[in-house]
Amino acid sequence: MIRLQDYTGISPKTDLQLIYRLSARLSRKRFLHINSTKSGGGVAEILNRMIPLLDGLGLVVRWEVIEGDQRFFTITKKIHNSLQGLQEEFTDDMWAYHYAVNEKNAKTLDLNADVIFVHDPQPVPLIRFRHSGLWIWRCHIDVSNPVENVWERVSAYAGKYDAAIFSVAKFAKQMSIDEFIITPTIDPLSEKNKDLTETEITEVADRFRIPRDKPILLQVSRFDRFKDPNGVVRAYRMVKKYNDCRLVLAGSSATDDPEGDAVIREVKEFAGNDPDIHTLLLPAFSDKDINALQRMATVVLQKSLKEGFGLTVTEAMWKGKPVIGGNVGGIPAQIINGVTGFLVNSEEGAAFRIRQVLNDPDMAKGVGENAKQYVRNHFLITRQIRDYLFVWYAMLNKGSTVMEL
Amino acid sequence: MQLFIFKQCTSILKATQQKAATIRELVLGIKEVSDASIFHHTYQYFLKGHILEYTNDFAQWVGEALEEKTLSEHLSIIDPYTFDKISELRTRIVGVIKDYLGHFPEPRPALRGNEFYFNESATIIFPTGIVAHNLAEFLQALKYVDSSSIYYHFYEGRSRGIYGPDDFSTWLSDKADEKELSERLRHIDPFMYDIESMRRLIVQIVEQRVQKDMETL
Repeated sequence: MIRLQDYTGISPKTDLQLIYRLSARLSRKRFLHINSTKSGGGVAEILNRMIPLLDGLGLVVRWEVIEGDQRFFTITKKIHNSLQGLQEEFTDDMWAYHYAVNEKNAKTLDLNADVIFVHDPQPVPLIRFRHSGLWIWRCHIDVSNPVENVWERVSAYAGKYDAAIFSVAKFAKQMSIDEFIITPTIDPLSEKNKDLTETEITEVADRFRIPRDKPILLQVSRFDRFKDPNGVVRAYRMVKKYNDCRLVLAGSSATDDPEGDAVIREVKEFAGNDPDIHTLLLPAFSDKDINALQRMATVVLQKSLKEGFGLTVTEAMWKGKPVIGGNVGGIPAQIINGVTGFLVNSEEGAAFRIRQVLNDPDMAKGVGENAKQYVRNHFLITRQIRDYLFVWYAMLNKGSTVMEL
Repeated sequence: MQLFIFKQCTSILKATQQKAATIRELVLGIKEVSDASIFHHTYQYFLKGHILEYTNDFAQWVGEALEEKTLSEHLSIIDPYTFDKISELRTRIVGVIKDYLGHFPEPRPALRGNEFYFNESATIIFPTGIVAHNLAEFLQALKYVDSSSIYYHFYEGRSRGIYGPDDFSTWLSDKADEKELSERLRHIDPFMYDIESMRRLIVQIVEQRVQKDMETL
């Protein structure tokens, strides 16, 4: 069982100290998280790691998952898409069903706690059934440009909470409640991010038949047009005229994404017979392989045209890699251009930055070191735990902007 | 000599739900937002842990998102520590922008996604567990305390209550009988260093004094 002490020397001491101080103040209080799945997706992934850590701090922690049928999850998927700007068809019946399923869950779930974090829009109507405690809506998705009438429906519930938490300031919405900004984080001790030996990295390179004879450019992402894989290939070709290198495009198989197969076909066709382009289709649970790929890369790309927060950027930065990222979504919150990585707006920009990094290893090393330090200070799971407890404590001391512990 | 208790601070961002896409919207926002928001975007600029070519968030946004370099230079020269009240600082920032707009063409709006978001912060202050009883211990602690402690005592200290000197130089002059050393720290330009560079500079200045002390008969 993982404990907070395991992060000593990895996470900033100040974060660990504050977690201990806050949890002492909140000792034996009940902390309830509610979401819609125990596995799959970033929210479940982070809760799986975070719950045991919180439990070890003397808090009474529970994690509940709402139950729903296929119809419910089809509706919530449409809500999710519309909140991110995609037009979907909705009927009043669908909204009534969204509420009814939550109402049914409210009858079976124990909603009594001192603080209740409700994650994302699936369980947002549960606020109608509050008994006690502070209710906080944790929105993990980019709702900066939603379909307005869908946002109106969701905010009718969200606005009833005591506070809301968004991942980036530009994702926040106008509501008359307190709104906090807490960026997503990675776990440095997880399979995807823990240190690997050179033997482990070499084993992965051999298995994927990637010779380590020249610099490796890497992009890890779903095969999705918004991640611009063909743009990455074009940037690689621009670089190749000046610097010999390999390109690795690694992504998960997109069985739940009808467009995924088409995108993979397009990329493979576009890459042609170039033996230095490696297109890897990774199965689920390939965390250690992704870790090794990131560690063997010389430069990591995330040339997205549209992005949520972009935790693959954080992962690569944590491994001390110079990252070249698209200037979209949450990527600018991580990359300070020229300091912790490079922000680009075009394929040409990406190609130019790759050439700079390949030709100046000392500069690349410096940027990678800055990147790792920046992630250590801002994007590790301990910072997120600290901030959740901070929000709770701040809400108990509402009106104070400076608190002394 | 009275001891120096090293404290540190941690802040969390709060959205104010106000944003600006144009220079005029920025002015409107600066006039309307809370004192806490103005404080966050000016005094707390150093909490971000790095400095670029600007000294506050307004100057940075004007320079980067609006690409209005001249105005960002005018905003960067504003020293928040010379104002007794946030309202005076607010008036000054608005005045600088209005004066600029009276002489130059209106800048283009920021591209979508690059708007200025007015934020505030909530701060928790807590002890580091490190205490200095003399100058040598003070020097040792300066080398190893968390950077948020340097921020808290050197930057935030200046804006606590009445705007005055930082906590380090106050302790050195008032409690450690080190007036000359205190003066040297007070003359450091806070805008020219990020926190880690500032730490190195303070350590260097204090170390010289400790060395001198060691060599004195």
